[in-house]
Amino acid sequence: MPSRRRTLLKVIILGDSGVGKTSLMNQYVNKKFSNQYKATIGADFLTKEVQFEDRLFTLQIWDTAGQERFQSLGVAFYRGADCCVLVYDVNSMKSFDNLNNWREEFLIQASPSDPDNFPFVVLGNKIDVDGGNSRVVSEKKARAWCASKGNIPYFETSAKEGINVEEAFQCIAKNALKSGEEEEIYLPDTIDVGNSSQPRSSGCEC
Amino acid sequence: MSGILFHKYGGEDLDSYYPIRPECQADVPKVRFKARAGKTLSARRWHAAFSEDGHLDIAKVLRRIQRGGIHPSIKGLVWEFLLGCYDPNSTFEERNQIRQQRRQQYAAWKTECQNIVPIIGSGKFITAAIVTDDDGTISDKKVLQWMLGLHQIGLDVVRTDRSLVFYESETNQAKLWDVLAIYSWVDNDIGYVQGMNDICSPMIVLLENEADAFWCFEHTMRRLRENFRTNTGMIGVQSQLSTLSQIIRTIDPKLHQHLATKKMIAKIRRD
Repeated sequence: MPSRRRTLLKVIILGDSGVGKTSLMNQYVNKKFSNQYKATIGADFLTKEVQFEDRLFTLQIWDTAGQERFQSLGVAFYRGADCCVLVYDVNSMKSFDNLNNWREEFLIQASPSDPDNFPFVVLGNKIDVDGGNSRVVSEKKARAWCASKGNIPYFETSAKEGINVEEAFQCIAKNALKSGEEEEIYLPDTIDVGNSSQPRSSGCEC
Repeated sequence: MSGILFHKYGGEDLDSYYPIRPECQADVPKVRFKARAGKTLSARRWHAAFSEDGHLDIAKVLRRIQRGGIHPSIKGLVWEFLLGCYDPNSTFEERNQIRQQRRQQYAAWKTECQNIVPIIGSGKFITAAIVTDDDGTISDKKVLQWMLGLHQIGLDVVRTDRSLVFYESETNQAKLWDVLAIYSWVDNDIGYVQGMNDICSPMIVLLENEADAFWCFEHTMRRLRENFRTNTGMIGVQSQLSTLSQIIRTIDPKLHQHLATKKMIAKIRRD
């Protein structure tokens, strides 16, 4: 029976509403930006195949709703994550201040086996806005926070212009790979949901 | 005859009812709906479905809608009935009274809200937080909870149906914001939850009067609000998924078993 073996890496993106989580994911996976994304309801995910040292991985990227109330869904989405991406908007102090809450909430709900070494990556997004003039969180301040939380890798991105997005996700994938105990997932043949009791022969007979 | 009518309909540019911004046209799926003579509920047919004192033959109307949809010129009026704002068995007179009462009620709520947050009803709205959860100056918990959600509504309003020319206008965005803000004040048990903006948006577009749009939304939410409940540590839709899971288990145990072993199905037992 044919089967494919892949290694699945699960990444979850968290951060306040409107910081650009959906845009970052789409810029990375589809290489495009649209100003027409709607608010994410609950959660959504995209997958991307990534190659790493001759091996193929499926990066499963979970995009989440920023509204705090959806955090009650957290457990279901956070569980099994190999890397957590924390996003804030460099033009919004509140979104930066909230990184701490998002990080703690993740650690509580996902309860990873080794919380101190669980890989996070922080992205400061929207650096393109107003040519950087409306920026309120300095790179220094952001880096200092990342350093204080066990040297979290930090990237400044623009999902709109595609700045640093590829680099950031490469780092994310690498960290997910390091942490994941490389769970082998097995994708079986599709099952027949019809009434037919006759097992269908596999393969093409035309 | 029908040929002539068809021609008249066929030549009509229905896109002009809800124009798309030119720069967004490539990203928006093309509207497949076409008004069809003899099938679509037209303005003429709609008006003919009322008796002299205003009773509506809803069964006839529904049959038409099922066959050919609603002509955009009367959509707002029809939706008010479809969403349950008015009883088809009521008279013109009764409905006018209800409409006036509802408009007054909305105006009263709006004034309440305006007295707390003056930007309500100003044609402008907010996207940044105006209070923090540890704000000591607001002692009323209901007021604080409501104010905490207002910027979230704003953040979602700016990205609601952005491809429509309608929402290029800040006044129209503010209309959506006002309705959602006032709804979250009135239904403070549920409040505002992301997704309500998308449900409310077509009503803002279709009903010119803001109070009428509010009541359409309010009636829709009577059916949908439980889906948005989050205060029991469970989002409303999860209970629907749980129901779906039970249905699958009943009608197709094999599929249910498969989904369960793949951990792809909501846990059914809530003990």
